[in-house]
Amino acid sequence: MGLDLFLSTTHNKGFDPKEMLGLKPWNHDDCLLDKKRSFEDASGKLKKDLSQTLPLLLWSGQPNDEDDDNREKKRLNSCPLTKINEEIVEEDDHVVGWPPIKSWRKKVLRQQQAPRIFKNRLAAAASWKENNGGLNSKYVKVKMEGVAIARKIDLRLFHSYQTLTNSLITMFDKCLELEKDSTAKYTLAYQDKDGDWLLAGDVPWQ
Amino acid sequence: MLRMASSFPEEVLEHVFSFIYDDKDRNAISMVCKSWYEIERWCRRRIFVGNCYAVSPPMVIRRFPEVRSVELKGKPHFADFNLVPEGWGGYVYPWIAAMATAYPWLEEIRLKRMVVTDEALELIAKSFKNFKVLVLSSCEGFSTDGLAAIAANCRNLKELDLRESEVDDLSGHWLSHFPDSYTSLVSLNISCLGSEVSFSALERLVGRCPNLRTLRLNRAVPLDRLANILCRAPQLVELGTGTYSAELQPDVFSSLAGAFSGCKELRSLSGFWDAVPGYLPAIYPICPSLTSLNLSYATIRSTDLTKLVSQCQSLQRLWVLDYIEDIGLEALAAFCKDLRELRVFPSEPFAQEPNVSLTEQGLVSVSEGCPKLHSVLYFCRQMTNDALATIARNRPNMTRFRLCIIEPRAPDYITLQPLDDGFGAIVEHCKDLQRLSMAGLLTDRVFEHIGNHAKKLEMLSVAFAGDSDLGLHHVLSGCENLRKLEIRDCPFGDKALLVNAAKLETMRSLWMSSCSVSFGACKLLGQKIPRLNVEVMDERGPPGSRPESCPVEKLYIYRTVAGPRFDMPGFVWTMDEDSALRLS
Repeated sequence: MGLDLFLSTTHNKGFDPKEMLGLKPWNHDDCLLDKKRSFEDASGKLKKDLSQTLPLLLWSGQPNDEDDDNREKKRLNSCPLTKINEEIVEEDDHVVGWPPIKSWRKKVLRQQQAPRIFKNRLAAAASWKENNGGLNSKYVKVKMEGVAIARKIDLRLFHSYQTLTNSLITMFDKCLELEKDSTAKYTLAYQDKDGDWLLAGDVPWQ
Repeated sequence: MLRMASSFPEEVLEHVFSFIYDDKDRNAISMVCKSWYEIERWCRRRIFVGNCYAVSPPMVIRRFPEVRSVELKGKPHFADFNLVPEGWGGYVYPWIAAMATAYPWLEEIRLKRMVVTDEALELIAKSFKNFKVLVLSSCEGFSTDGLAAIAANCRNLKELDLRESEVDDLSGHWLSHFPDSYTSLVSLNISCLGSEVSFSALERLVGRCPNLRTLRLNRAVPLDRLANILCRAPQLVELGTGTYSAELQPDVFSSLAGAFSGCKELRSLSGFWDAVPGYLPAIYPICPSLTSLNLSYATIRSTDLTKLVSQCQSLQRLWVLDYIEDIGLEALAAFCKDLRELRVFPSEPFAQEPNVSLTEQGLVSVSEGCPKLHSVLYFCRQMTNDALATIARNRPNMTRFRLCIIEPRAPDYITLQPLDDGFGAIVEHCKDLQRLSMAGLLTDRVFEHIGNHAKKLEMLSVAFAGDSDLGLHHVLSGCENLRKLEIRDCPFGDKALLVNAAKLETMRSLWMSSCSVSFGACKLLGQKIPRLNVEVMDERGPPGSRPESCPVEKLYIYRTVAGPRFDMPGFVWTMDEDSALRLS
């Protein structure tokens, strides 16, 4: 290593800045110039995701989970629209720590912004659906209170609230040891496009 | 000279020294001669360690045996923005354990960005009989159980401040551990806690502590309980409300307004979570005497914000969301002539389009109207060189200037030029500038300006800026008082670092992430300069498994007299001589 640490000459004009950039980044996720593009890519992906998802189905008497964490791992288990909230309100994965806002301030923002953004995205999803004549499948995420992992189901496979309820019980039965008669304790609720929580069964299945 | 120094008896010198509080002055005193060094070290009561790894607990204790107050800082500043992975370090326990035996009369512990465990808190609670002040700023690793130990055991506790810490909030029951005989509380800040404390316990605590001057509640305290609390503490100087939202009810409003009016000493307000405009008038009576207002959690809009700030003629510090908009900042400029510090935070930082009408104009207005403004943190979505130059000319007394333009590398939106000249004007006019964070499109030229003019600059934060190593070289070679430099996503590589390696020993720390510094250069720095810890952070695996020319993910260099640390996690490698041999 022949570099002289205490060299004090100024750089000559021939110093090629690109020479430094030319150091092949070994596994930089994005090169510096691409960071801006990838931010846009991520939002573009966002719009595609919206078309696949619909209002959240939550299975509990307390639809609004408390914001219990902001760790990356647990994010993956939340419903798609909550996930979208987090993708919008949380930092873009490509530019970690930008804009430079303290994590706990972001947490407070998330708690304040979530209801509004949720509504906007639901409206966007609904209108996309109208404009594009429906979808082949209606996947929704179902989360059960007390169970960390949510499940995804295709609503088109069911034709009544009862069959839906039965399948959900079976599905979640594997996580919890549910007794057969405890099914009466659970209620099915969903959130419509205005963000209001409604009990399933009030409106006809169609 | 020697004769003079020894002609005063020790006690006289010690008495004289007792009037010297500032660390720099104390350090200067200790360097006059050996006897002054000895006298000074025995009577130093307060120590500040800006980087907990710069020195070891035994070294501190050996030199200063009679310390009463300790302040420590741990993680690098960029840890605030999730750039430092979990487990990096900054553990306070070794310090507490060492001080438990060495400083039985320790009274104050102030920590920032450190990992504090319940064990550490329990040790504090039982080791220091005269413990008075605990400030945990942006700390983590402890739960409300640790707080219960402090509450139960620290009979002389005056201050418990948990500002912005991440607490494992098991329950609010900890507050009830303050015994009924405990009356010495002066300052309590629990605003970061999520769970509900017992309101009756809180009210009784507030009621029996006549010296209480600062009370920052958490969001779980509902608005209709605030009046009761205030009525028990009319002597409060600083208040953080709980949630500031409730159904508009005349009786709740009038008791709240009455309670606020009764607090004649109130000078600082914060909290205001979920604030509803209807309850804002309750604080109007005390607005004229407020000096500090933190509305950065209040989602109220510019009309209500404008009405509010227009009544705060004594305001010196305002923290607010960008809902205030340019129009609110114009009102601020018109009515708040004593303003010294302004922080404007983004309400929707991740939205691509602006959601409010807050532009560079707002900041320009405040810089024009507020002659004492010297500290700014401003998030916005557009800026021009002209605006920056105007701000610079208006406010040559600026000492802290932090600008963040949401979009990285955003140019002057009118001329589409880089913002080099704008920031150049800032450093040229603001000769006492101590802290600077830059934003927008910036070339090497801005660094040339900084190197040439920012002679008092102590802390610089740079992101997505510069073209080449020349930029970094200008800063390292020009900024004589630079202590902390943090850089992310800039094309700076080995050359500037190696050429200016000696400079690094005069600074507290250097952070570089997503730049182009090679592993080879890191090794070289670590080996050649023993009093620097050169730490490479790389979650891709050992840097030795990649070519030497490969850039490291993150680099943290800091000066130290304690040698390399031993509590590094798996993704941090130290580049000191011995380790480097092991790596290769």
